[in-house]
Amino acid sequence: MRDTTPTVHIVDDDDGVRSSIRMLMKSVGLPAVTFASAQEFLTGYQPERGGCLVLDIRMPGMSGLELQQELNRRGAVIPVIFITGHGDVPMAVEAMRHGAFEFLQKPFRDQELIDRVQQAMQRDQETRESLREHARIQARLASLTPRECEVMELLTAGKANKVMAHELGLSQRTVEIHRARVMEKMEARSLAQLVRMTLDVQ
Amino acid sequence: MPSNELQAIMDAAVDAVILIDHRGTMTAFNRSAERLFGYTAVEAVGQNVGLLMPPSHRAHHDQYLERYAATGVAHIIGVGREVEALRKDGTVFPALLSVGRVADSVPARFVGMIRDITAEQQARLKLVAERDRAAAAEMAEQEARLLQERLMRVGRLTTLGEMAAGIAHELNQPLSAIATYARACERFLALENPDLEESRAATREIAQEALRAGAIIQRLRQFIASQTSVPSAVNLNLVIEHLTPLIMADARLHSVGITFDLDQKLAPLNGDSVQLQHLVLNLVRNAIEALSGNADPDRHIVIRTDASGSPELLSVCDNGPGVPPQMVNRLFMPFVTTKPDGTGLGLSISQTIARAHGGSVGYRPAEPRGACFFMRLAGDPRP
Repeated sequence: MRDTTPTVHIVDDDDGVRSSIRMLMKSVGLPAVTFASAQEFLTGYQPERGGCLVLDIRMPGMSGLELQQELNRRGAVIPVIFITGHGDVPMAVEAMRHGAFEFLQKPFRDQELIDRVQQAMQRDQETRESLREHARIQARLASLTPRECEVMELLTAGKANKVMAHELGLSQRTVEIHRARVMEKMEARSLAQLVRMTLDVQ
Repeated sequence: MPSNELQAIMDAAVDAVILIDHRGTMTAFNRSAERLFGYTAVEAVGQNVGLLMPPSHRAHHDQYLERYAATGVAHIIGVGREVEALRKDGTVFPALLSVGRVADSVPARFVGMIRDITAEQQARLKLVAERDRAAAAEMAEQEARLLQERLMRVGRLTTLGEMAAGIAHELNQPLSAIATYARACERFLALENPDLEESRAATREIAQEALRAGAIIQRLRQFIASQTSVPSAVNLNLVIEHLTPLIMADARLHSVGITFDLDQKLAPLNGDSVQLQHLVLNLVRNAIEALSGNADPDRHIVIRTDASGSPELLSVCDNGPGVPPQMVNRLFMPFVTTKPDGTGLGLSISQTIARAHGGSVGYRPAEPRGACFFMRLAGDPRP
C-alpha cells in the first residue's frame, strides 16, 4: 500500500530554506517531504498522496512556474503555494492564473505559511473527496442499462411516470420498476439527490 | 714668434689653438684651427678673434678683454666654457673653449683652445630626447595600465550590477531560512514538553545559515574591492569554486542548471585571480543570458576545466540558441552586443584578460546546440 497521508511537499533547491520549512511544518505536527528540484519532485511524486505543494519559483533548471504548468497538464489537483524571493507581480499573476493557491514572499511570516498550508490541505481533502464522489457516481451511472438511462434522463427532467410511460412506449408498471432500479443503483434516497448527482457529473 | 718646437706642438694638437694679443688680434692659428674654421693661418693671423664668433658674441668678447685688462680678473681662464663659434662659410657650431694667459706677457697675450663639440652635443641632446621619450612612454604605459585597471573594475561592477537581483535573492535565502528556523525553534520550545533536540538542531542551522550569508558578502566584497592583484600561482578550479555562490545566485534567478566538471589534476597557472574570476563570471553570465529566453525547461550550463592538455583549459558551454553566424567574427569586438541593454564589453574584457595571461578566449558551437566559450593558454597551435 502506498502512503496516502496528507503531506506537505516542499520543493526548493536551497538546502537551508527547504529544511527550515520542513522543520517549521514538523513543529506544528504536519508531515512533510522535501525535493531539491522540480525534476526530483516529478520523479518522486505520488499523485494519490494528498496535501499541498510549497514551491519555490526560482530554481536552477525547471522553474516553479514550469512545474506548476506541468502538473496542470498531468491533471494533478494538489494545491500549490508559491514562495519566492522576488515579489515580481507578473510572475505572481502568472502563477495565480494557473490556479496557484497562494503566493508568498520570502522571508514570509511563519504563521502565514502555516495557515495557508493548512487551508490548502483542507482544500485538497475537499477536492479529493469530491473527486472520489464524482468517480463513485460515474461508476453507478455505468452500471445502468440503456433503458434505465432513458428513464433516469426523463426522471431528472421532472417527467411523471405516466408521461415517461407514454414517451417510452412502456407500461406505467414497467416504468415504475425501472425507476426503482435507477434509484437503487444510483444509491439515491430522493429524486432531489439523484438530480444533484447528475448535475455533479455533468 | 713661436719656436719650431712650439709650432710643431701646435700643429700636432687635435684641438684648434689660437694665440691672441691683448686687443684680441690673432697672432697664431694652428692646422686644426684652419680645418675647424676654414680660414688659412695667413687669412686669420692679424685679424681680430671676433672673426670666429657669431656677431652677437663679438662685442662681448671685446668687453671681456677690456675688463681683464682693467681688473686682472679672468672669468674664463682655466675654466673652459661652451661657446658658439663661426666658420668661414658662415655656419655656427658649438665649441668648448679654454683660455690661458701667456705667462709674464705684458701686455697680456692669451692662448685659446677650441674643440668642436657638435657630436657630443648631438649625442647629449639625443640622450635627453631619448630619456624624455622613455619617460613619456612609461607615463603613457602607466596611464594605460591605470585606465585598463579602471575599465576592468568598471567591468566587474557592471557584471555585478547585472547580477544584483540574483545576489539579493541569494542573500535573502539564508535570511529566510534563519527566520523560519527561529520560528520553528520557538514552537518546539513552546510545546508542553519542549523538544530540545529539534530546538538545538534549529539553532545549529541558524548559525550555519548566518555563516553562509557572511560568505556570500565576503565573496562579493573580494570581487568588487580588489585592485588588480600581483600575479601569483592561481588554481583555476579554486577561482571557480570561489565564484560558486555568485554563479548559483544568477543561475537560480534565471532557472538555469549548472554542472561543475572540474579536473582536479589541473596545474596552477601564473595569473591574477581577480581578473580570472571576472573572466569566468563574464562567460557564465553570457551563457545564463543566452538561456534565459529559452522556453525549454532543460536550460543547462557546463563549467569545465580540463588538465588533459586539451586547448580548452576552461570552457563554459550552454544549450541555448548559440551565436548567430553573422556575429561570430565580431564577438570579441568592444561595444558589439546582441543584448538590448548590453555594454558589449564582457567578451572584449574577457579577451583582454586572457591575453594578459598569455592566452585567448575562443568560441565554437556546442553539440547538439548552444554556445561554447573557452580559454586556452599560450603554446596552443589552434588559431
